[in-house]
Amino acid sequence: MFRSRRAIPYLLIGPGLLWLILFFVVPNVQMLLFSLSEGTLRTGFKTPPEVWDIQNYTGSIAKFSKNFTNSIVYGGLATILCFLIGYPLAYAILFLVIAPFFTSFLIRTISWRIILGNDGPFLSVVRDGLGLVPDNFSVIGTPLAVVGGLTYQFLPFMVLPLYVSIEKVDRRLIEAAQDLYAGPWRRGGLIAGAIAGAFVLVALQVGLGYGHIVGEDAAPAAVIAAGLVGAVAGGAIGTTLISQSFIRVTFPLSLPGVFAASILTFIPAIGDYVNAQLLGSPKTQMIGNVIQGRFLDQNDYPIAAALAFILMAGILVSIALYARLLGTEELTGGTA
Amino acid sequence: MSDATPEPLKGTDLVTDLGQRIRITPVSRRVFIQGSGMAGFAAFLAACGGGTATETLKPSDGPGPTGTVAPSGPATIEGPLNFANWPAYVDLTEDESSSPTLTDFEAKYSIEVNYQEEIEANEDFYATIAPQLGAGLDSGWDIIVLTDYMAARVVRAGWIEEIDAAATPTAHANVRDELRGLAWDPDMKFHFPWQSGATGVGYNVVSTGRELTKVADLFDPAFKGKVTLLSGYADTFSLVGLLLKARGEISNEPASMTYEDAQKVHAFLKPYVDDGHIRAFTGNEYLQDFGSGDTWAAAVWSGDLASSGGPDDRFEFPEEGSIIWTDNMLIPKGAQHKPAAEAMIDFVYDVANAARLAAWIYYISPVKGVAEEIAKTDPDTAANPLLFPPADIAANMFPQPALEDADDIKWADLAADLEGA
Repeated sequence: MFRSRRAIPYLLIGPGLLWLILFFVVPNVQMLLFSLSEGTLRTGFKTPPEVWDIQNYTGSIAKFSKNFTNSIVYGGLATILCFLIGYPLAYAILFLVIAPFFTSFLIRTISWRIILGNDGPFLSVVRDGLGLVPDNFSVIGTPLAVVGGLTYQFLPFMVLPLYVSIEKVDRRLIEAAQDLYAGPWRRGGLIAGAIAGAFVLVALQVGLGYGHIVGEDAAPAAVIAAGLVGAVAGGAIGTTLISQSFIRVTFPLSLPGVFAASILTFIPAIGDYVNAQLLGSPKTQMIGNVIQGRFLDQNDYPIAAALAFILMAGILVSIALYARLLGTEELTGGTA
Repeated sequence: MSDATPEPLKGTDLVTDLGQRIRITPVSRRVFIQGSGMAGFAAFLAACGGGTATETLKPSDGPGPTGTVAPSGPATIEGPLNFANWPAYVDLTEDESSSPTLTDFEAKYSIEVNYQEEIEANEDFYATIAPQLGAGLDSGWDIIVLTDYMAARVVRAGWIEEIDAAATPTAHANVRDELRGLAWDPDMKFHFPWQSGATGVGYNVVSTGRELTKVADLFDPAFKGKVTLLSGYADTFSLVGLLLKARGEISNEPASMTYEDAQKVHAFLKPYVDDGHIRAFTGNEYLQDFGSGDTWAAAVWSGDLASSGGPDDRFEFPEEGSIIWTDNMLIPKGAQHKPAAEAMIDFVYDVANAARLAAWIYYISPVKGVAEEIAKTDPDTAANPLLFPPADIAANMFPQPALEDADDIKWADLAADLEGA
């Protein structure tokens, strides 16, 4: 009796374990071997133990550093934007966020092409209607379009975990906080809002390559102006909308959700290539595009596998760091 | 994993541990599985080549057989015929719900044609069939259509079935003479051309505000950010190679360009990519970009804009010269319905059928007598240079380079560097 009881948990995890071994461990081992191989699909491969081609790793990092940078910057910005957009949304209008996502990923990205396109509704208002931008202005092909696409695509990944964790917060704790004189968070809200607002606008301008959009590099004055505008707007929002009970009760209690949501958003965003391909230009290609091209166009499996591993390792390391920074003991599983 | 967990499970360390992790740890294995699942999903989308432009044509669709189809047909042919082709490469009815050619074929042989617009680039499609064919397995297709250099590569690899000459008498009789005797398949044992076409300059005359006549026009500063080129080296490097040849910077025709010539093309294009003049490198997607106004001028394939573009979209054989290529029907090794594939090859070489195809898709038909057939009903189309390039244009057409594997990799690297990935 005792024996069979001990076997039950193993039996229960058996199917899942088998699934993981078949579809996660085996492909990854194969990819690891490929990442150390030489050759292409056409010339045939020399795999370990015949060769151990470490050059695939060292060479790739240098050669594709720009694409890695693109991925990290775009993926990171999209995550931050998702958070800023998603947190208020998670409070209120969950269904509206989820509804469009019953449509295919690809269809939605292609729709963005039409919306942001030269003859699309966005430019017909901003360019033709309001005359805010020059005639040859284009959104498609800029980093702005790519980050916009990523933000839109991965918003539900941010909103759903946030919603779950906000929804779980005990209302009585907020009431108790208010009883204990938790009022509007004036000074803190002003400072936090101003910093966040300035960061977002400066990041959008510098990180997205202002030159891509208007054809000239961002002047320091323009960056400072954008920072000021962001700071004022953020400060106003912070002062009026953020309360002390939010900052002392709701937000700390929703941190596990923030952690899960940002990772869920960042991982697919950083590895995405559909948005960069459909909405971007040759200069906005992300590391996912390189991996896709190497696998499918050039049939260069070793480099593609090495790049995939570098990306995976980078994500794991950054998540570990993130867990250290943001995670409580609960988050990291107590003993980790 | 609620408080109502059955008693027997409680107390076992593993289950408790798992339960706690799942309950209190938002980042569990599930996160990683979902993350990797997303990447897999994206890869799947890519493997499907977009998956939106496919259609399965059923015998009941569209009109019945026309008088041009021979009434008799062998009864032993079995289907369905799995046919992979490029977008905008088969005739369609007025409402674009079915293809008369395929409908007639289905009626004649009483089999279904599973026609998929699956091929958007030779390399991408090659990657989807190479693992199976290399392992000696069926690729799932009965007919595939590949451009010369890629067709030669798969024939050399021994991955293509020999076409039964007895089953394809019409094709052998009607294929145009200049398409016979190619080095990689001199006796038409392994391939029959589907269509030939040219690579040249496409533009929207309203957007550009003027007529374009040269490859050099693509680099007019006025079109900055509104220009696309074709991905891969085969078309783009050949076309720009002609531009550089006209300027005296390189001396070889595209087919005999050296790696040094390719490096010069790369060096010429790089600044245009860096300053955003060239917005993208595309396959057939340029059709959508012309439609949305995001592309004003581009390197394009000759028939697409005429068959599927807007009224202001034009194709021009550039003064520097244009690139000529042929897409070829091939039967992959182990194809399940080889007799049906041979019947299809023979069917589209029937002059009447070929004329109907050519008049719709606006490429250069490989079948003798098509011009005369079209002229009977539609003299304008019969005089269209897209379908029947006049002698001076034909003399200024150049084939693509056909590279050995080692060179192919080096050229592809140059192209990939321009494409940013």
